[in-house]
Amino acid sequence: MEYLIHLAVMSSIYAILGMSLNLVVGYAGLLSVTHAAFYGIGAYAVGILTVSHGYGFFGATAIGMACAALAAWFIGIVSGRFKGDYYALVSFGFNIIVFSIFLNVQSVTRGPLGIPGIPKPEVFGMLIRSNAQFLLLAIAFTLATYAVSQWIVTSSFGRTLKGIREDEDALRVFGYDTARYKRIIFVIAAMLAAVGGSLFASYISYIDPSTFSLNESIFILSLVILGGLANVNGSVFGAIFFILLPEILRFVGFPPDIAAQMRQVAYGLILVLLMLYRPQGMFGEYKL
Amino acid sequence: MYIPYVDIVPQLIANSVIAGAIYALIALGFNLIYGTTKFFNLAHGAVAACGAYAVFAILKTFALPVNIVVACAIGAFVAGIIGYGLERLIYRPLRRRKASNMVLMVASLGAFTALQAFIAILFTSQFQALESSGGISGAIEIYGAIITHTQVVIITCGIAIMAILAFIAKYTLFGKAVSAIKDDEEVARMVGIDTDRIIGKVFFIGSAIAGVAGILIGFDTGIEPTMGMNLLLKGTIASIIGGVGSLYGGFLGAFVLGFAENFGIWKISGEWKDAIAFVVLIVFLLVRPEGIIKK
Repeated sequence: MEYLIHLAVMSSIYAILGMSLNLVVGYAGLLSVTHAAFYGIGAYAVGILTVSHGYGFFGATAIGMACAALAAWFIGIVSGRFKGDYYALVSFGFNIIVFSIFLNVQSVTRGPLGIPGIPKPEVFGMLIRSNAQFLLLAIAFTLATYAVSQWIVTSSFGRTLKGIREDEDALRVFGYDTARYKRIIFVIAAMLAAVGGSLFASYISYIDPSTFSLNESIFILSLVILGGLANVNGSVFGAIFFILLPEILRFVGFPPDIAAQMRQVAYGLILVLLMLYRPQGMFGEYKL
Repeated sequence: MYIPYVDIVPQLIANSVIAGAIYALIALGFNLIYGTTKFFNLAHGAVAACGAYAVFAILKTFALPVNIVVACAIGAFVAGIIGYGLERLIYRPLRRRKASNMVLMVASLGAFTALQAFIAILFTSQFQALESSGGISGAIEIYGAIITHTQVVIITCGIAIMAILAFIAKYTLFGKAVSAIKDDEEVARMVGIDTDRIIGKVFFIGSAIAGVAGILIGFDTGIEPTMGMNLLLKGTIASIIGGVGSLYGGFLGAFVLGFAENFGIWKISGEWKDAIAFVVLIVFLLVRPEGIIKK
C-alpha cells in the first residue's frame, strides 16, 4: 500500500511536469528540452530555503516559482530567436548550464553532496507526516495545474498559441506579438515545473543535481510525446504510464537494476516507434 | 598547489589540441550525415559508444587473441553497421514519409536513449578501462606539455581522417554525389544518383568515424555507457560553430571549442567545461549563426 502511494505521488509530480511542458511543446510547438532545469530550480529553492533559512514550504515554493519565472524569461529571450531543431539544441544547452550551476556553485547548492533533511510541508498549521497525506497535497497541486492548463488552452490566449504553432507568420501579419506569446507560455510552464520540483524536494527530502540532468528533460519530453502533444489529459496518462512501466517490467521478471535500464530502452523505443507510426502520440492533436 | 604560469600554458594548449581532435572526429561524421540528411542525428553519440564497447567486448569480455589494431577496425565497423542500421530502419522510412526535422531528431533521441541503456545492460553502467597488455603506453614531452602516446594517436587520427575525407569529397565520384545531395536531394535523384544508397554509405562512414572517436577516448580515459552524450553534445557544438554541414567547418569548430573549453577553465573548476561549451554555442548562434565557415 505504502508503495502504491509512493507511485501515486511520483505520478502526480510527473503529471505536473508533463502538463506544463505540454503547454510549450504541444501548444506553442517549441521543442524544449530544458524542463528539468526549472524542475530543479523549484526543488533547490525549497531545499535551500527550508533547510537553512527557516522558510515554510509554501513561501519557499512561491520564491522558487519566481526564480524559475525569471530564469525562463531570460532563457526565453535568447532561445526565442531560434526555431525547430536549433531551438531544441539551444534548450539542451540551457539545461546543461543550469545543471552545471547546481553542480558547481557549491557554496549555495552543496554541489554533488546534495541537500539532505528537507522538511515536509505544513498545511494550515498541520505538519504532513504520512505519505498518504502528502499524496493528498500532491493531488491538490496536480488538480490545480490541470485547471490552470485547461484554462490556458481553452482561453483566447491558448487559441492564439495554437495559431502561432500552425502559422507564425500569418499571426504576425495579424498584428500579434508572437515572440511575446511564446515567452509568456514558457514562463508559465517553468513556474508550474518549479511547483513539481518543490513537491519532489519535500517529498523525497533529499535532492542532488543528478535528478535534474538533461536525461530528466528527455524523460519528461518522452512522456509528453507518448501521452500526446496538445492534450493535457494525455500528459497525465504519459506520466502514470512511465512511472508504472518499471514496475511492470519488474513484474515480468527483470531484476531491479536491469529493470531501470529496461525502462530507458523502453522509452527510447517508444519514442522511435511513435515517431515512425504515430508522431502525435497516443491522444495528441498536433504532430511535430 | 601553486602552478607557475609558464608551466601550465603548454599543457593547456596540448589539452586543447587533444580535445579538439576528439571533437573533430565526432563533428566530421556528424557533419557528413547532417550535410546529406539535414537533421541532427543525436544517436551519433551512442554509436560512438557502441564502437568503444565493441572493442571492449573483443579485448576484455571474450579476450580474443587479435591484434589491437584489428580490434579497433572491427569496432569502427560495428559502429558503422549500427549507424547504417539506424538509417535503414528508422530514418529512411521517416524521410519517405516527409517527416519534419524535429520528428527525425526526436526519433534519433529515442534511438540514442535505447542504445545507451542497451549497452548498460550488456556491459554494466560502470566506468571501465579499455587498455590491454598489448596496448600503447608511455608519453612524450613537448615544451613541458605531457602528451601520452594514445593522445598522439588521437591527434594523428583526427588530422588523417579529415585529410582522407577532404580527398574523397574532392576527387571521387562518391564525393561528388554526396555534395550533389547536399545541395539538393531532389535534383540529385533526378540526374540519376541513387540517393538512398549514397546516404546509406554516408551513414556507414560517418558512424564508423564516430566509432573511432569512441574507441580512442576509451583508450585515453575509459568507457562508460553514458560517454556518448558528452561526445555528441561537443561534436554538435563543434559542427555548429564551425558551420554545420561543412567538412572544414566542423574540423575548425572542434579546435575552437577545444581551446575555448580548456582555456576557459584556466582559472575556474574543470566542472564548468560543459557550461562553457554551451555558452560558446549560444554566443555563436546569436552573433554568427552560419558558423565560422559560411556556405
